[in-house]
Amino acid sequence: MAEDFDNVNIEDLEAKDTARKIPLGWLILFWGLILWGIYYLAMYSPVISGWTQEKAYEESVTK
Amino acid sequence: MHDYQYDHQTVKGFIVSSIFWGVVGIVVGLWISIQMWKPELNIPPYFTFGRMRVVHTNGLAIGLGIGAIFGISYYIVMRLARRPLLFPKLARFHLYLFNAAVALAALSLFAGMNQTLEYAELEWPLDIGVVILWVMFAVNVFGTIIKRKEEQMYISLWYIIATVIAVAILYIVNNLAVPAGMTKSYPVFAGVNSANVQWWYGHNAVGFIFTTPILAMFYYFLPKSTGLPIYSHRLSIVAFWSLVFAYLWTGAHHLVYTPLPDWIQTLAIVFTLFLIAPSWGSVVNGYYTVGSDWSKMQTNYLTKFFIMGITFYGLQTVQGPTQAIRVVSQLIHYTDWVPGHVHMGTMGWVTMTTAASIYHIIPKIYNTEIYSIKVANTHFWLVLIGQLMFSITMWITGIQQGALWKATNADGSLKYTFMEGLAKNYPFWQLRTVAGVIFTVGMLFFIYNIYMTIRKGRALAASQA
Ligand code: HEM
Ligand code: HEM
Repeated sequence: MAEDFDNVNIEDLEAKDTARKIPLGWLILFWGLILWGIYYLAMYSPVISGWTQEKAYEESVTK
Repeated sequence: MHDYQYDHQTVKGFIVSSIFWGVVGIVVGLWISIQMWKPELNIPPYFTFGRMRVVHTNGLAIGLGIGAIFGISYYIVMRLARRPLLFPKLARFHLYLFNAAVALAALSLFAGMNQTLEYAELEWPLDIGVVILWVMFAVNVFGTIIKRKEEQMYISLWYIIATVIAVAILYIVNNLAVPAGMTKSYPVFAGVNSANVQWWYGHNAVGFIFTTPILAMFYYFLPKSTGLPIYSHRLSIVAFWSLVFAYLWTGAHHLVYTPLPDWIQTLAIVFTLFLIAPSWGSVVNGYYTVGSDWSKMQTNYLTKFFIMGITFYGLQTVQGPTQAIRVVSQLIHYTDWVPGHVHMGTMGWVTMTTAASIYHIIPKIYNTEIYSIKVANTHFWLVLIGQLMFSITMWITGIQQGALWKATNADGSLKYTFMEGLAKNYPFWQLRTVAGVIFTVGMLFFIYNIYMTIRKGRALAASQA
C-alpha cells in the first residue's frame, strides 16, 4: 500500500468562517484572570502588602 | 522512499505496548487500592505499598501514557507533514528500546531503587536511558516536521513540539544528581531548592505529558473522526501560547504553606488561576466544534469519548486551580481529595481521549472498521462510571479527613486523633476498589475490541495478498 488512505487536508480540520472568532465570554475570562492576578499578587506579596504566612498563622491561633 | 506501512507497524507496536503496560499498571493500581484497607496484601519486600505505588504511577505515566504518546504522535506527525517518518528504522529501534526501558524501570522500582523524587524515581542509569529515548523521539519528530510536504503547521504539531522541548528540559534538570554507585545517587539540589525544582518538574510532568500531547490528539482526532472542523483556529493558537507560557510558573502551588518563600507561592498561585483561561480555550473550542452539529453525539460513537474527555479536562482545570488557593489547599492538601483529582484527569481525560484516538487509528492502519461499536459503548459507560465513583468517593472522604484534622477544641487541642480520622476512610477506600474494578472491566472491553479489530485487519490483509 504505497499511497496514504488517511491523508489530511488541513482545510478540513479548521473551520473557515469562524477561524478568527474568539467567544466574548472567553475573552472576559482571560482578561479577568489577569486583572485578578495583579490584585492577588499585590495582596499576598510580603514586599507589597506586608502579608506573610507566619503572620496569618499567628492570627489564626490567637483568634 | 519507503511507504507508510512500515511506520504504521511501528505505531501499532507502540499502541500494543502501551496497552500491555497499561494492564500491568492498572492491576498494580487495584492491588495497592486493596492494600490500603487490607494490609495483609503487603508482601515484603517486593510487593509492599511503598514499592508498588511507584510501579503504578511510573507504569501508567511512562508505560501507558508515554508509550501511547510516542506512537500516536508519530501517526499524527506523518499525517500533518504528509510524509512517512524521516527515520523509520530509528523509530522501530525506539519502540524496542522503549519496552526494554519500561521493563527495567519496573524491575528496579520493585527492587526498591528510588531517587525519592515523585515521578522522577528512576535511578541515574535509567535516567540516561530515558534521555536517549527522548532524543530518538525528538530527532524523528523534528526531522519529519522540517522535511514536511505541507506548508501550514496545524495546532497538533505545536502541541507535540511543546511536549518534546518541555519534557526534555524538565526531566534533565530535576534528575541532576551525583552518582554513588550504579543504583544510588544524590540530587544536586537540597532542601527548599530541591522541593521547588521537584514540583516545578512534577506539575509540568502533568502539563506536558497528561495535557499537551493529549490536546494534540484531541485537536487532530476530534475533527478527523467526526468530520467537523475545529471552530476557531485563532482560539487554538491563543490558547496554546498562553498555556505553554503560564504552565512553567505554577509548580509551587504544590508547596502552599511550606518554607518556600511566600512570594514564590503567591506568584505560582496567580499563574495557576490564570491557567483556567488557556485550558478552557480548548474546552470552548471543542464544544463549539461539536456544537455545530450535536447529532454527531449519536451518529458517531467516538464523539462522546472526545466530548466526555474534554469535559473532564475542563473540570480538572477548574478544580486544579481551586486547589491552589490557600484556603482550599489547607483543607484538601495531604488528604485523599488529591487522588480523586488525579484520577479524574488520568482516567477521565487522558485514558478516555487516548483510547478514542486508538479506536480511530487501528482500523485506519488496517483499512477496515472497528470490530464492534457496541463493545466500544460498553467500554465507554463502564470507565465513565468507574472513574466518577473513584473521584467522588475520594472527594467525600478527603473533605471529611481535612475537616477532622482541622477541628480543634476551645483550648486549641485537636478534637480527633489521627487514627479516628483514618478509620473513617475505610469504607471509601473499599468503594474505591470497587470503582477500580468497574474501570478495569471497561478497559478489558476496550482491549478486546482492539484485539478483534487487529485480527480482522490481519485476515483482510492476508486475503488481499
Ligand atoms: C483501576 C484503576 C486504578 C486504580 C484502582 C488506581 C489506584 C490508585 C491508588 C490506590 C493510588 C494511591 C493513592 C494514595 O497514595 O493515596 C493511585 C495513585 C496514582 N495513580 Fe492510580 N489507579 C488506577 C488508574 C490509574 C490510571 C489509569 C492512571 C494514569 C494514567 C493512574 C495514575 C496515578 C497517579 C499519577 C497516582 C499518584 C497520585 C498522587 O501522587 O497524588 N492511576 N492510584
Ligand atoms: C490547569 C490545570 C491544573 C491545575 C492548576 C492543577 C493543580 C493541581 C494542584 C494545586 C495539585 C496539588 C493538590 C495538593 O496536593 O494540595 C494537583 C495535583 C495533581 N494533579 Fe492537577 N491540576 C491541573 C490539571 C491536572 C490534569 C489535567 C491532570 C492530569 C492527570 C492532573 C494531575 C495531577 C496529579 C497527578 C497530581 C498529584 C501530584 C502529586 O503527586 O502530589 N492535574 N493539581
